[in-house]
Amino acid sequence: METLKRAFNDRRAVVGAAILILLGLMALLAPLLAQHSPSQLSNDTWLHPNSQHWLGTTALGQDVFSQLLYGSRLSLLVGLVTGLIATAISVIVGLASAFFGGVVDDILSGITNIFLVLPGLPLVIVAAAYLQVSGVVPVIAVISFTGWAWGARVLRSQALSLRDRDFVQAAIASGEGPLRVIFAEILPNMVGLIAANFFGAALYAVLAEAGLEFLGVGDVSQVTWGTMLYWAQSSQALLQGAWPWIATPGLCIAALGTAFALLNFAVDEVANPRLRSERVAAESKPLALKPAEAPPAGDALLQLRHLEAGYLTEKGTVRAVKDVNLEVQRGEFLGIAGESGCGKSTLAFAVAQLLRPPGQVLSGEVWLNGQELVRLPPEALRQTRWKDFSMVFQSSMNALNPVMRVGDQIADAMRAHGVTDKTVIEARVRELFEMVGIRPEYITAYPHQLSGGMKQRVVIAIALALEPKLVIMDEPTTALDVVVQRSILQEIDAVRRRLNLSIVFITHDLSLLVEMSDRVAIMYAGEIVELAPSSDLYANPLHPYTRRLMNAFPPLEGERTRRDGIAGRPPDLGTVIQGCPFAPRCESAMAGLCEVIAPIKLEVSADHVVSCHLYDPNVMKGRAEDHAIAAD
Amino acid sequence: MFYITRLKAGLILERCTVLYLLRKFALLLLTLWAALTINFFLPRLVPGNPIGAMIAKYQGRLDPNAAKALMIAYGLEGHDKNLLTQYGDYLFKLSKGDLGRSISFFPAPVTEMIGGAAPWTIGLVGISTIFSFLLGSGLGVYTAARRGSRFADSLVPLALFLNSVPYFWFALIALYVFAFLLGWFPLGGGVSIMTGPTWSLSWILSVVAHAILPGATIVLTAMGGWLIAMRNNLVSTLGEDYVAFARAKGLSESRVLYAYGIRNAILPSLTAFGMALGFVLGGSILTEVVFGYPGLGTLLYHSVTSLDYPLMQAIFLFISLAVLVANFLVDATYALLDPRVRTGQA
Repeated sequence: METLKRAFNDRRAVVGAAILILLGLMALLAPLLAQHSPSQLSNDTWLHPNSQHWLGTTALGQDVFSQLLYGSRLSLLVGLVTGLIATAISVIVGLASAFFGGVVDDILSGITNIFLVLPGLPLVIVAAAYLQVSGVVPVIAVISFTGWAWGARVLRSQALSLRDRDFVQAAIASGEGPLRVIFAEILPNMVGLIAANFFGAALYAVLAEAGLEFLGVGDVSQVTWGTMLYWAQSSQALLQGAWPWIATPGLCIAALGTAFALLNFAVDEVANPRLRSERVAAESKPLALKPAEAPPAGDALLQLRHLEAGYLTEKGTVRAVKDVNLEVQRGEFLGIAGESGCGKSTLAFAVAQLLRPPGQVLSGEVWLNGQELVRLPPEALRQTRWKDFSMVFQSSMNALNPVMRVGDQIADAMRAHGVTDKTVIEARVRELFEMVGIRPEYITAYPHQLSGGMKQRVVIAIALALEPKLVIMDEPTTALDVVVQRSILQEIDAVRRRLNLSIVFITHDLSLLVEMSDRVAIMYAGEIVELAPSSDLYANPLHPYTRRLMNAFPPLEGERTRRDGIAGRPPDLGTVIQGCPFAPRCESAMAGLCEVIAPIKLEVSADHVVSCHLYDPNVMKGRAEDHAIAAD
Repeated sequence: MFYITRLKAGLILERCTVLYLLRKFALLLLTLWAALTINFFLPRLVPGNPIGAMIAKYQGRLDPNAAKALMIAYGLEGHDKNLLTQYGDYLFKLSKGDLGRSISFFPAPVTEMIGGAAPWTIGLVGISTIFSFLLGSGLGVYTAARRGSRFADSLVPLALFLNSVPYFWFALIALYVFAFLLGWFPLGGGVSIMTGPTWSLSWILSVVAHAILPGATIVLTAMGGWLIAMRNNLVSTLGEDYVAFARAKGLSESRVLYAYGIRNAILPSLTAFGMALGFVLGGSILTEVVFGYPGLGTLLYHSVTSLDYPLMQAIFLFISLAVLVANFLVDATYALLDPRVRTGQA
């Protein structure tokens, strides 16, 4: 239902609904508005529009305007009823074939496919010509009969993907009957799609009905927009100059069709989040950035200064990265850890300048090798990409173009940066494949022919193609099993040492980072709350959040103890957070302090920085005195 | 690049492509069989004696020979035959290409009449459908790539409107304005009578002059659907991770758009093209009626108004066959474009 509500916030849906209501009013108020009976004959034939007959008269002297008003009744009825019936068939066939699978699915899908390719309108024409019965019922029946297949196919694939989702699987496993699963779990999640499908079917019905009646196959004694066109055409109305007789019913059909099409389009856009977010993106304008300051001193490869990034949504700005300051040295392996939704990936995308609207860098600077990336013009940025820094995506399963051979996906990155010699490229691709441990036969394979681990290795090979100085890896191994994960990580590390690469490695797996990194940064609610050399962090985690994260993973050695997760959820980044963002979940939170005042960054020991009041000597001294006073 | 290994992989892929095409061909045969069967049962679904009802409708205007031919055509001349035998006879006759004789043009065989009309329809509707697909998809790419610009965004509601206009009504208005009022184009027909021998230059020019207006109306009205389909596909595709990754690699925007965006977005559009072919063809048939174009649409209209059932059914069969073959060709093209289909994993 939420989908439908959202759809009606859309301008197009409002226009569509307005047209539909207007035409509905025409149908309802026809007896009040019409000055003549729609079928009454008279001697005033072929009249041009005048005060008596606003749209003129027909060859038989009937009033065109009255016919138009009354015609809306059956035209609307056929459109709506046929849309409903066709959608009902689509839903039943689509859901049955998705839910029962096996033979039922084979048969139903077969029938659907047959109806999809059978030419609908000629079939309707022939069927209607045989079933020459009066009234609109046969027209509705034959159009529904041919108009359900497309919807059934779309709904089946949607229901199939829903069926594999966790909540439906859970319902099935808990012993809910098929009907209950369908009605309680699957259908509510398909409302948007079904509605879009209804409007699509209604559009088809309106056009098919008009076509049928225009040919005279329907019941031409009835007054509909289609039969008006039939009589107008068979009396050669245009040659008589009676253009309103033809123009107006056609426009009404087009208006009704457009109303259905607009509603279909709007609902579809809401039901398909990707189309939706892109629309928001098109409407939001990027913020103007202040010019960058002078390049930083020191020899760090990457330096982030007060970097803020987030998403411009309809409800306001979501600040997913807040005032991040960070340096990465040449050859350093820096780990960034945190729960899902803490801004790790946004940080990676912000550094790589890959945030797409509605996401964007809000302020701050990213200095890489003496260049400020945020303000770099597009062409200069394009040239810097991959040569100076590359990135490995979280979802490497989808990072490869499905219709291009994987070898060519390395080659085109090289070509885009000026390597054009075929033999050089070919040799390099082989070398890279060897480096990440894939047999060269797979150079010509397509992504779907590779396993998940192999795809991941290919993506890493692509990232290393131009020997960049920095590789940003956003949870590169999360989707892989532990054995594959380990071997890939070892290879990454070996390559790093050989080429003196810097790596920024992002994961929620803190134990992994502690093992691999030089330094580790802990992120919470878009901020870096602790940063330390990894051995230091492992031996002496300071921030309560870091300690909880450490405790959430089993130690590599020692006895097994029960692991507890962290109660509560990270805060909503769209709201303004007062005080320390971790305070509500923190066991050591100090009432009256942590939820009010945001902690500052404290360098507790060499290179070990933490944002927590517990380590602020001023705060703690103050509190000790308070306690002392209270004790007195 | 990578010639040697590609050749080896090519042999494996080849077999899967053949399997995929065989599966599609089986669907073609199955659908054709369904069309044949619907065609057979439709007249028999009419309550009572269909031939009697038909003859009654002609009110004595029917040639006795035609009435007899009608009985034979429907396998009803012998009352002792059961439905199964009738069905067998029907299929047997069809296999010999015998679709019966027209009633309104008795005794002309309907195959002959279809043979005369089909080239006009295939020429007009075929070419305009391909045109509208290319034009509509091209504009769809434009509207997706230029989202946010006022002109590109205004094309979307316009396309929705065009897609909702009845083809034949648009044709009527175009005919009235451009042929009747302005006199730029002939009022109807496929070719003028006075243009010399077939395939002479003046004949060809006349054919083209007659085809422009109906062709343009089909292209314009059919275009909207392709535009919307391509736009939505491309917008979805541009949000895929592999497009973001391509951008991250520092490829040029045009390379990202073509090799990563459009190259993938075209695939569902192509499937939709096959599916929508039947609908577009149906609409175009009505366009022919408006222009008095001497193709299958006009012939179907004629057969419906004169209750020429054998002709009507034969036209339906022929159109089904044409749509199925076109669909098969689209599927074959799809196999060329999508490696996942070729290796049987789609």
